[in-house]
Amino acid sequence: MTQLKLRRASQSDGLYDYSQFNKIDGEHPLRETNCDCFVDYRARHRKGAKIAAFNFGLARDMGLIAEDHPNVLTPELEKILLDKFSLVIINEYDILNKVHIDESEILPGKYMATKYLQLQHPNKQGKTSGDGRSIWNGCFKNRKGHWDVSSRGTGATRLSPATSIHNKFWKTGDPNISYGCGYCELDEGISTLFFSEVLHKNGLPTERVLLVLEYPKKISIVVRAHQNLIRPSHLFSHLKQGNVHALKSMLDYYIERQVLNKVWKDCPKGKNKYKYFLTKQTEIFAKMAANFEDEYIFCWLDWDGDNILMDGGIIDYGSVRQFGLFHAEYRYDDVQRYSTTIVEQKHKAKYIVQTFAQIVEFIQTGKKKNIKLFSEHWSQQHFDLIFQNVKDRNLVKKIGFKDQDIDFLLKNKKSLVKEFRKTFTYFERMRSKREVYQVADGITRDALFCMRDILRELPQMYLLRDNVIERKEFIDIMRSSYCKDKDLQQNHYRDRMVDQFQQQYLAIIQAVARKRKMRKFEVVLELTMRASIINKFDRVTGDSITLITDRILRDFKKLDNDEIYRILMDFVEYQNHNPDTKIHMDELHVKKSPIIRSMISIVRENREGL
Amino acid sequence: MKLVFHGGGYDRDNRELNLKAIELSGEKKPVIAYIPAQSYDSEVDFRDFVKEHQKYGLRQFLYFPIDYPFDNTLKRELLKADIIHLSGGNTFHFLKYLKEHKVFNDLKNFAKKGGILTGLSAGAIVMTPRISAATYPDFDCDENEVGLLNFTGMGLVKFEFFPHYSNSRRYDDELKKQSLKLKYPLYAAPDGAGVIVEEDKIKFVGKVACFFQGKKMFMN
Repeated sequence: MTQLKLRRASQSDGLYDYSQFNKIDGEHPLRETNCDCFVDYRARHRKGAKIAAFNFGLARDMGLIAEDHPNVLTPELEKILLDKFSLVIINEYDILNKVHIDESEILPGKYMATKYLQLQHPNKQGKTSGDGRSIWNGCFKNRKGHWDVSSRGTGATRLSPATSIHNKFWKTGDPNISYGCGYCELDEGISTLFFSEVLHKNGLPTERVLLVLEYPKKISIVVRAHQNLIRPSHLFSHLKQGNVHALKSMLDYYIERQVLNKVWKDCPKGKNKYKYFLTKQTEIFAKMAANFEDEYIFCWLDWDGDNILMDGGIIDYGSVRQFGLFHAEYRYDDVQRYSTTIVEQKHKAKYIVQTFAQIVEFIQTGKKKNIKLFSEHWSQQHFDLIFQNVKDRNLVKKIGFKDQDIDFLLKNKKSLVKEFRKTFTYFERMRSKREVYQVADGITRDALFCMRDILRELPQMYLLRDNVIERKEFIDIMRSSYCKDKDLQQNHYRDRMVDQFQQQYLAIIQAVARKRKMRKFEVVLELTMRASIINKFDRVTGDSITLITDRILRDFKKLDNDEIYRILMDFVEYQNHNPDTKIHMDELHVKKSPIIRSMISIVRENREGL
Repeated sequence: MKLVFHGGGYDRDNRELNLKAIELSGEKKPVIAYIPAQSYDSEVDFRDFVKEHQKYGLRQFLYFPIDYPFDNTLKRELLKADIIHLSGGNTFHFLKYLKEHKVFNDLKNFAKKGGILTGLSAGAIVMTPRISAATYPDFDCDENEVGLLNFTGMGLVKFEFFPHYSNSRRYDDELKKQSLKLKYPLYAAPDGAGVIVEEDKIKFVGKVACFFQGKKMFMN
């Protein structure tokens, strides 16, 4: 005990090792691909930064700080974070206009802004589009793997749509242009931090925020990290250009990173690796599409493969939302066009897989065939199969079953699960009589039922009654605030579906009870406890994240970094919906502060929204 | 009326009081409803509660948070339970939502009609005439995070209840002082101890202290 105290005391005296941060110096293996996939920028130190938030958990996961580092920003840590990440690129505008920059402020390394395809960009081949306000800080590698580190808000690059549209280079921070000035706002950083950590906690692959730096006028730099920041659009640009060498080079780079990170442990060498790649990517995108649909995650997928990572991770939270209900007709309004809907995401994901098939064929034969020829490709059927399987798995998981029961059901009671999913989907996708209407950032039409509510309450109703519940009771339990009386006019088909839902649900329970040689009530009791966590009443939505960010920023000056991190941890655990990892809040030693109480209230009030 | 007041602690510390509540119900396997003082983090507490009560052979449970909107179907099931347990947490938050969501009077009626009402810490305090016991001592009291102004409790008994009591000078000084303001006794129970009320009889489990008119005595 004494030894431990001494060790900690000495560490808090400034003896923590922060040298790992020095490995993030602009160098990156992507440079070695020689495929004209980036623009290099020098950078200078940017003054006036304060650390708005630092993600100690992610820094530990990456191996940047010691496992036993306290969640406290030491002066040494603060210094190295500012030295490393508070930077602004020296862009084309600065060079052309001979903007004076003190030599002592110029950082030694160079930083890449990567090129990729973007549908909103005038150039549809990705020659001049890509990281418009981001640079890659570098690649960090240690025994825990390889991590790409990138910063948003580090200055205007030549790859932003603004440069192409106006045919001029922009001064970083130019107030005449908002999107394209190279800056990032503080609320964007904080909302991404909270949203991505909640999704990460619940098992969804995503970019994560390592650091948010704050500058005057609520401007920020957001430093993000992920094991592989390559997007499909990084490959698609070379495909569009018909550059097979660059395409192969980029694809080989991506595959190698997956192997290095031991994500793909059995990847063959030689040409066989491309078939392996296609199989894996099909699985990744089918699973991702199914998960997005079942977790009500709206992520604007399109043919350009921009707003998503190759490994299915979420990136760029600007238009990402999580709905409280299955609002199937919501579309984000991006001024020039409306986004896809949550239902259309699947088709876009499948089209991206079709493009992967086209890529593999191109690399293997050297001939670029029309994308339409791949509509019947085996990967398309494989996608559908995986998609349906993951949807089945997700549903029985939501009911509350453990992994071994899920495996049993999917193996032995597949048709029952499928039939139940049809019934479940009928209610999940019922829409209000009110037609499509305008909301703050797009258009929508309301869903009627909260399926989480029925999955949470149904097992305990069975536990108490040992019988089905009445039709009206069933509807009342899952009726959302959007559901009006006119939406619930007498409907015999719906009545039959209520009966069918309960019969199928109970049949699934009965099957598991028989398999586990348990009595039915024991299974139902287990489901009651697990479903209460999985289908928690309070669930974060896109709207609530926006409001939570506003709430945090209102008190921002009063909160130090350590408090922000405590709030983050507390909030993320509160939104942990995994019954196998859910812990008591007491174990986090967090006192429920007024700000956390406000956040809970915001989540609750917006739980059914967009 | 049949009431059980728990001084606090984990479910496993309250075995004797839990068994007594089951016995009071007259049922071998009574239906037990669990109302958390606040829903925040309460699913995990419910899980622990169920696991402990499964050891006594119970099999029917209802989890019923009252600080968010609930359906009347579930409320009807709540009031059909043999035992309703009010959990620990923030007393002010608990009382506010019991009243705001109109469960307060239903629970009083439930108890008056013979249902077993049990409460742990905050859950026990709300069954008393006033929830003053949540306001002291300064070093160990609940924060009135909801700005509650009316401290009137269910008034099911004519005593006040102080949970998590520690037999020490600083607690005793405060409790003696508070007892001078009361017309009825103030029972103080450490974790695992408690008070059982069965019609006009009162029993004490564990080392429960009574503070009355500035004096202290142990009840067993």
